[in-house]
Amino acid sequence: MKRLLAILLAASMMFAMTACGGTEAPSSPASGPDAGEPAVDEAAKYAVTEPITITWWHALETQYDGLVAEIVDEFNKSQDLITVEAQYIGSYSEINEALVAAHAAGSGLPAVVVANTDYVASYGANGVYEDLTPYIAATKYDVDDFAVGLLESAKYGDKQVSLPFLHSTQIIYYNKDMAQKAGITVPTVITDFDAFLQDAAKASGGVGTIIPGWDQWYFETLYLNEGVKIITDDNTCDLNSDTAKGVTAKLQQWCKDGVATWAFGKDASANMRQSFYDGKTFSVLHTSSLYNNYVDNCDFEVGMAWYPAGTTGAKDSEVGGCVLGIPAKVDQKTKNAAWVFLQYLCGKDVNMKWAEGTGYTPTRNSVLQTDEGKDFLAKKPEFKAVFDNLDLIKPRIQNAAWAQLATTWKNYMNEMMAEQADINTKSDDMVVEINEILEDSK
Amino acid sequence: MAGKPMLKPKTKSAVGDFLFVVPALALLLCFTYYPICKLVEISFTDWNLLSDDFTYVGFKNWKWLFAGTGAKYLWNSLKVTFLYSLGELAVTIVGGMLFALLFNRMSRSFGMMRAFVFMPKYVAMSSAAVIFLWMLNTEYGVVNYLLKLIHLTPVDWLNQKSTALLSVLMLTGWRVIGYGMMIYISAMAGISKDYYEAASLDGASSSQQFFRITLPLLSPTTLFLLVTTFLSSMKVFQSVDILTEGGPSRATEVFVYLIYRYAMVDFRMDRAATAAVMFFVILLVITIATMRVSNNNITYDS
Repeated sequence: MKRLLAILLAASMMFAMTACGGTEAPSSPASGPDAGEPAVDEAAKYAVTEPITITWWHALETQYDGLVAEIVDEFNKSQDLITVEAQYIGSYSEINEALVAAHAAGSGLPAVVVANTDYVASYGANGVYEDLTPYIAATKYDVDDFAVGLLESAKYGDKQVSLPFLHSTQIIYYNKDMAQKAGITVPTVITDFDAFLQDAAKASGGVGTIIPGWDQWYFETLYLNEGVKIITDDNTCDLNSDTAKGVTAKLQQWCKDGVATWAFGKDASANMRQSFYDGKTFSVLHTSSLYNNYVDNCDFEVGMAWYPAGTTGAKDSEVGGCVLGIPAKVDQKTKNAAWVFLQYLCGKDVNMKWAEGTGYTPTRNSVLQTDEGKDFLAKKPEFKAVFDNLDLIKPRIQNAAWAQLATTWKNYMNEMMAEQADINTKSDDMVVEINEILEDSK
Repeated sequence: MAGKPMLKPKTKSAVGDFLFVVPALALLLCFTYYPICKLVEISFTDWNLLSDDFTYVGFKNWKWLFAGTGAKYLWNSLKVTFLYSLGELAVTIVGGMLFALLFNRMSRSFGMMRAFVFMPKYVAMSSAAVIFLWMLNTEYGVVNYLLKLIHLTPVDWLNQKSTALLSVLMLTGWRVIGYGMMIYISAMAGISKDYYEAASLDGASSSQQFFRITLPLLSPTTLFLLVTTFLSSMKVFQSVDILTEGGPSRATEVFVYLIYRYAMVDFRMDRAATAAVMFFVILLVITIATMRVSNNNITYDS
């Protein structure tokens, strides 16, 4: 009887999810054609059986209101059981605050919530996000199509605590018109960067590049590609190693010489962008997700270049953007509805809509082979720099104490760059502090 | 024959009075005293806000705060908070009094001008801070634009250690100076004209009248502003959060922002609770001290 009921519920769910055509249907519980009996039982646990309204917290600003409304409406119309209400909460840090407060209180939680890739480890380690592994297994949801690095960045240990959603990576935006006029190309290796910055600064009449100091994500790649681990295997920090100090010294030298600017402070991002729009800097290091923003605001052609390879030859980058997860403390009915919506949001078709409507990168490998993928590249040719290197986009460093480490690192870097503080002393002080943080979080 | 009443009339009255305050007391117990006790408890744990589990760690957080790496941030934020409070006090009391002297005329035009000076107090701090954020922008802010017009070097207001706190105080000053002015104007209106007439007859100059009559008789108002402004300024957060996020290099990391950072950025609720308890004790000591001072040194006779 129980099994019969489960099959009926699963079948009704499948009907609801596939009722409307258009975008791909999320893989509903037990919707797989070859789902065996045990899978049906498992899938039934995650079936949506009655109408429910759920909330989705996101960080897509007002310029994306239309896109968010279109995608959510399409989902709401595609089935009868789940109604989604999308809520813009604020930046990633504001969403984090709201989520953490609601999690601690155990109430007021949304069904689906985005999180910057920075937070995945903390949420995974502390059970803030539901482990989606059993949901994926039960509903046979195809996760293998996601780019490996992106999927890994949504995991905590072996647990798939979230799914890749809107992703980006670090990129160099440069003024293509200025580059052509001055005959400058963005170098592919870091050793050529000294000369490049000198030429670029001359060409712009300002600086060669601006390095975002407000978020360590933008500069940590430069360390990682030199072989600095940041957190070593024995859970200590190596940011005071000779190699790390060498990278810091290079950055400091560029700032001291006036060929680069260290951007920090509350309005640093806006200032940096404005400087680029105004042609006061040849290039900026920023996130690929802001491509549309740069193109829309510049009256010159915007180029995109991959970060330079380190002296080790490594030219990896790190994944940015956000993942989607389900808060662990919401009830199972809400989780089930959330899982259906989450599959939809991360589905291939919807993913392309996100990629086209924002500056985020498609997350699925299959997209790149499709006509949609080719159309995407035709519309945004500069994204070739990202597409060509998708395999080099690596997951973030996963450590539950990462947030504390990052704050400490950023503050010390600001002192070393903006105030030209002594690198040896500051790096050593910083590592003492970070090691204490790492030791304490074991 | 009537029996002996269970309670004496005085006791009965006291019990009745107490019953009236029970609802308020219950709210205080729930929303003030219980959280304080809970904070003290959390300060002896390793709770990280995200996890439901925690263990008791004794004085570990306290040792970290006073003798570990937390100490330098504790003293730094205490220093920043006191500097900020002194700045806000100076603007409210000195600025408020000067503005009160300037605008203490009873006419329609002066009434309008007072309203303009007072109005910023009612502008939401978040809105005001966002406006100041752009006014103080290094490249595109109106403040630096004006400096350039008079051939002065633009200042990186919010991103320099030497000017960041001053920038926060500029916003504060803009908002609170009108409040200080209004309080002083109303207090000045309460000073009997007889004192000034007598002083004039004795040949006292305006400045003598101010220092010998106005200032002493405004001392209860000054104390009121001193206590309320100091205690509220110690709890500054929003303007710092919006303008500087405690930076650059913690130059504007006031105490409440420090607590916020430990809890919401670092996920260290244990450390945040320890700092919060410490902050509570500081505010308690200051409050007791100011009450003592007010009882002994203030002239209320006007």
